[in-house]
Amino acid sequence: MINVRLKFTKGSEVKYISHLDLMRTFMRVVRRAEVPIAYSGGFNPHPEMSFGAPLSLGVISLAEYVDINLAQEVPLSELVDKLNQYMPMGIKVLGAIKLPEKFKSAMALITHAKYSIKAYIDDADTKELKEKLNSFINQEQILAQKKQPKKNFQIKEVDIRPMILEMNFDGCQDGICIFSCLLHSGSKANLKPEMLMQAFSDYVGLNFNRTTITREEVFVEQDGKLIDLLQYRD
Amino acid sequence: MINDNIKEFIYEDILPKVEKPGRYVGNEWNSVHKSLEGIDIRFAFCFPDVYEVGMSHLGIKILYHLLNDQKDIYCERVFTPWPDMEKEMRENNVKLFALESRDYIDSFDFIGFTLQYEMSYTNIINMLDLAGVPVRAQDRKEGQPFVIAGGPCAYNPEPLAGVIDLFALGEGEELLLEIMETYKTWKASGKSRQEFLRMAAGIKGVYVPSLYHVEYNEDNTISKVTPLYEDVPKKVKKRVVKSLENSYFPDKIIVPYIEVVHDRIMLEIFRGCTRGCRFCQAGMVYRPIREREIDELVEIADKLLASSGYEEISLSSLSTSDYSRLQELVEKLMSKYESKRVALSLPSLRIDSFSLKLIEEVQKVRKSGLTFAPEAGTQRLRDVINKGVTEEDLIKSVGDAFETGYNSIKLYFMIGLPTETLEDVQGIADLACKVLDRYFEVPKERRPKGLNVNVAASSFVPKAFTPFQWEPQDRPETLVEKQKQLRAALKKKQVKVNWHEPYVSYMEAVFARGDRRVNEVLIKAWELGCKFDGWDEHFKFDKWMEAFEQCGVDPEFYAYRRRDLDETLPWDHIDVGITKKFLKSEYKKSLKAELTRDCRTVCTGCGINLLEEGGVCK
Ligand code: SF4
Repeated sequence: MINVRLKFTKGSEVKYISHLDLMRTFMRVVRRAEVPIAYSGGFNPHPEMSFGAPLSLGVISLAEYVDINLAQEVPLSELVDKLNQYMPMGIKVLGAIKLPEKFKSAMALITHAKYSIKAYIDDADTKELKEKLNSFINQEQILAQKKQPKKNFQIKEVDIRPMILEMNFDGCQDGICIFSCLLHSGSKANLKPEMLMQAFSDYVGLNFNRTTITREEVFVEQDGKLIDLLQYRD
Repeated sequence: MINDNIKEFIYEDILPKVEKPGRYVGNEWNSVHKSLEGIDIRFAFCFPDVYEVGMSHLGIKILYHLLNDQKDIYCERVFTPWPDMEKEMRENNVKLFALESRDYIDSFDFIGFTLQYEMSYTNIINMLDLAGVPVRAQDRKEGQPFVIAGGPCAYNPEPLAGVIDLFALGEGEELLLEIMETYKTWKASGKSRQEFLRMAAGIKGVYVPSLYHVEYNEDNTISKVTPLYEDVPKKVKKRVVKSLENSYFPDKIIVPYIEVVHDRIMLEIFRGCTRGCRFCQAGMVYRPIREREIDELVEIADKLLASSGYEEISLSSLSTSDYSRLQELVEKLMSKYESKRVALSLPSLRIDSFSLKLIEEVQKVRKSGLTFAPEAGTQRLRDVINKGVTEEDLIKSVGDAFETGYNSIKLYFMIGLPTETLEDVQGIADLACKVLDRYFEVPKERRPKGLNVNVAASSFVPKAFTPFQWEPQDRPETLVEKQKQLRAALKKKQVKVNWHEPYVSYMEAVFARGDRRVNEVLIKAWELGCKFDGWDEHFKFDKWMEAFEQCGVDPEFYAYRRRDLDETLPWDHIDVGITKKFLKSEYKKSLKAELTRDCRTVCTGCGINLLEEGGVCK
């Protein structure tokens, strides 16, 4: 068995496609491209693919990962070209690495994610926003409301402060204010950027007309350093 | 006209607020995007239901690519926005837009609707209104789109006569392109809107309702329908494609992102049906039977699999097991695609020709449930409806299925069929119980675990162009009684019983055989908030009753009245090829429970062979 990790983008054209839809799309791309994917055994065999951290509906990403299992060796550059030829608009494979026989899945590895956020604010006061962000981030505790899908969407208050590693404000232009942040992301601790922005907009008492979020990169923490998933080695 | 700011507003600000935004995004693999340069005709192909339903429909996929294969035509798709989306659109003054370009469709040349079921009619009116196009044909002005409709419900076009500018009757592959040609000629001529409709009425298969005058008798039945001009045909004949050989089939189909109802390749193996079930409109109006050759089917399947990446093919037709070389076709497809893990599914297997060998072949890649349609519970009633199958056929077929490891069986029945008695309803329960018994006859070690029998009992709706077109429908109270009886008789843990909402079936019966006077009722019901009537959660019976009341139209006249055999029916000026004489004789035979055999071997004289010069039936 040959294990390969792919990095790909999920652009604006496909940002409303759910995680499940994306998985189905990949399955069909692989079939169109005639990539020799391995199939699981069992009654209803399915292609062996495992995706990294799911994105929320509406979020764009420059760094999605999927691990696939090939039944046959294919040169990586050929694999990437072939897949891209059959990808729908908005999805593009950026790179691939070969994984060892035994490996930790992308899903299990991811610990952090970096986002850039565009918030549309009428008559934004840059100076004030900067100060507000500072005081927001300097709180001991930031309580945010979290819906619990498994508990009938009951709302729970959680402290999100420990999950924010960085949050920066990079200025406004034509009513669009740019933020960037580095957050915990993964199975242990996970903060969704839209939840952070909601908490921030509540804090500053501003309504954002529109927020567009881009996941810039996801990382795995190794020896205190953040490494991206194509560089990471066990 | 729409501008880019509005498009961005829809995409960035409206879509995040609605459920399943993927319904409105487009950009799916194999969707067609064209630049507007050199485009003469913009066509909005509308399916009056939500995306997931519309994208499961084969016809729209064929015609979409057919039109787009023409250099100067740009065909785009439109589905009904779900009520949450509609609310956002109306609140923000956003009009109905096409999926591909996201342009508003009120500037298109054509807005086309496919009529698959009557309960989608209010969605048509709603979509026109959302598009900013007058809902009544008579209010449309020069420069506004022409509203065209086709599909099986168009054979009784009258309930929509005031909404649709022109109907395309029968198979669209050739007809639609002829209409487009005529349109181009008209557009170049600079003549009036009315002139185009006159020109179009000259094309075989086109029905322009505004060119006909309807007169009524004192008892509210129709006295006569007359064309307004001499050159307008008295009777409009449906179109058929003479042979499927080399007839258009796209080599690619759109692959939706979000999950749709039928998310697979649909391979049309033949059209028409020779069985002659008396309740079935499709079995009559889709005649004559025409098969596609095996080699051509394999070639089409090859192309579609390669271009779509789908993992399943379903063989589509009315009565799949009637394909003359089905075993050979299935073996060919499986030997080719088994290693590629393509699953095959066969909907609508007939009970009397169920073949174990075939099923074993099909289930190599993936096993799904099996569906059988005995339609009625007793032999007498099955003979009345000319469903020539027996209890032995069914028990043998399910027995074979259990022995091969199937544990999930779906049984289709109808309640409220003509001449039905409580005994016939009990017969449904008895038959289901015999299926259970047959399961327990299989030795425990050999039978699959977890038996699951699904009994679907839909309410019978008499349709135009069937031998039952003269028959009254059962009243909802009667249907509810029968459903209760069935439920009581089938209290078993392995059996699940499903049915249709009988009040929906009542409305369906009105519009299936309605005339022009129900047109205003549709518009009124829509004004009162009716839409998505095929979805139980949106169906508002009281609003419908209010609409009938306000329009002074009696729904019972259409649903519960036994028509006289000599009455002029609202669809008598439409010719689907099946003669009224044949339908009458079938009706009389049904009342005596006399069978008419499958006309595959010997012609039984339905008349379709006379529709086309030279004939189409062998
Ligand atoms: S013309 Fe004869 S053979 Fe052809 S469909 Fe009708 S009954 Fe059957």
